[in-house]
Amino acid sequence: MTIEEAKFILSAFRPDGSDAGNATFCDALRMAGDDPMLKGWFAQSRAHDEAVAAKLKQIAPPEGLREAILAGVRVSDPRGSNGLGWGWIAGLAAAAAVVIGVFSARAPVRPESGTTALAGFAISDMLNERHGGSGEPASALIAGLQVKGARMPAAEQIDFEKLRETGCRTLNFAGHDVLEVCFVREGTVFHFYVTRRDGPLGNSVAKGPTFVSEAAGAAAVWSDTRFDYAVASTAGAEALRRLL
Amino acid sequence: MNNEAFAELVDAHYAPLYRFALSLARNASDAGDLVQQTFFIWATKGHGLRELSKAKSWLFTTLYREFLRGRRRDARSTSIEDLPPAEKELAAEDVDRVSKIDASLVMTALQTVDEAFRAPLTLFYLEDMSYQEIADALDVPIGTVMSRLSRGKSQLRMALEGVQTAGAKVLPFPDSKGASAS
Repeated sequence: MTIEEAKFILSAFRPDGSDAGNATFCDALRMAGDDPMLKGWFAQSRAHDEAVAAKLKQIAPPEGLREAILAGVRVSDPRGSNGLGWGWIAGLAAAAAVVIGVFSARAPVRPESGTTALAGFAISDMLNERHGGSGEPASALIAGLQVKGARMPAAEQIDFEKLRETGCRTLNFAGHDVLEVCFVREGTVFHFYVTRRDGPLGNSVAKGPTFVSEAAGAAAVWSDTRFDYAVASTAGAEALRRLL
Repeated sequence: MNNEAFAELVDAHYAPLYRFALSLARNASDAGDLVQQTFFIWATKGHGLRELSKAKSWLFTTLYREFLRGRRRDARSTSIEDLPPAEKELAAEDVDRVSKIDASLVMTALQTVDEAFRAPLTLFYLEDMSYQEIADALDVPIGTVMSRLSRGKSQLRMALEGVQTAGAKVLPFPDSKGASAS
């Protein structure tokens, strides 16, 4: 077995060590014990795998998903049924109702003040564990946001439809879409939110920026001709000021 | 299977299933749908499975098939032969980088890995399944799983590196003095 072959096999060795007794890995593990270079590579590879695995385990399912699964199946009552009948459809409807509740639970129907409502929404969502935009346009936006000294983007730099269609995280705020991307600048994580100016807040967001601080974090809110924006962080208002 | 046993099955598996679904579907809403659909199928068909010890593999396999079924409707996939070879070697700072960043950003990076590598890679990191079980779930040979894990890890490292070192090549953001950032 060559070093490269050993690396190839050890790539499938789970970081928690649960494959230690598996015969497939014996020779490669033995080789890693004898060869200092392979040993170093394997230690680093496992440390990296452990770090990624630990992070993935921090991703929590959305609140209410468990209840939606149980409610849907309970209504469908598959026992005694030979196929997918009306009960299954009713189950889907019940589950869908729960899920709609889950994903729009944070949506105030009539925000009293656009600026504070959007700031509150941003801070509240920031504390949720589900984050991140994806898709090529979101990656481009994140890349720009991560550059030290860069200002927050303006309307002409945001293609709202494209971001949404290509998989950017989309939230529901008072029945309207809000897009979110996360970015890291100088070690601090920020959450950036965009919604259409004619959307849920109806032109009531100040041109700003306005800074709103709460115990759990802070948000800056502003608007331009086309969009309302918020950026939130647990690092406080000063960190937000440096972005604007 | 009674309601209590079904609830136990859901409790044991819905969180890792959701993480797997999120890496595939790349958004929380579709991931939630996939998990629900998987348990619906279990409730209508899979509850006849005699060996409950195989429930975990059955659920992951079914979720993956449901994802592929939906994916086929989009009719846009990349042939494995078209994918570039992965060459990113692991560096010491890569481990530190992962430890310091937000879990959601790790998931975002994972979601950028090519789909063919992403499924085995996510199952590997969830640590619930051995490489043999992953091969069964995805219906590919063991050697293919190992190869995809190796290449997928390399792609993931590059994506994680991009989380912190991405440049402003795509969008010209103005810098703090109003000029374009380079």
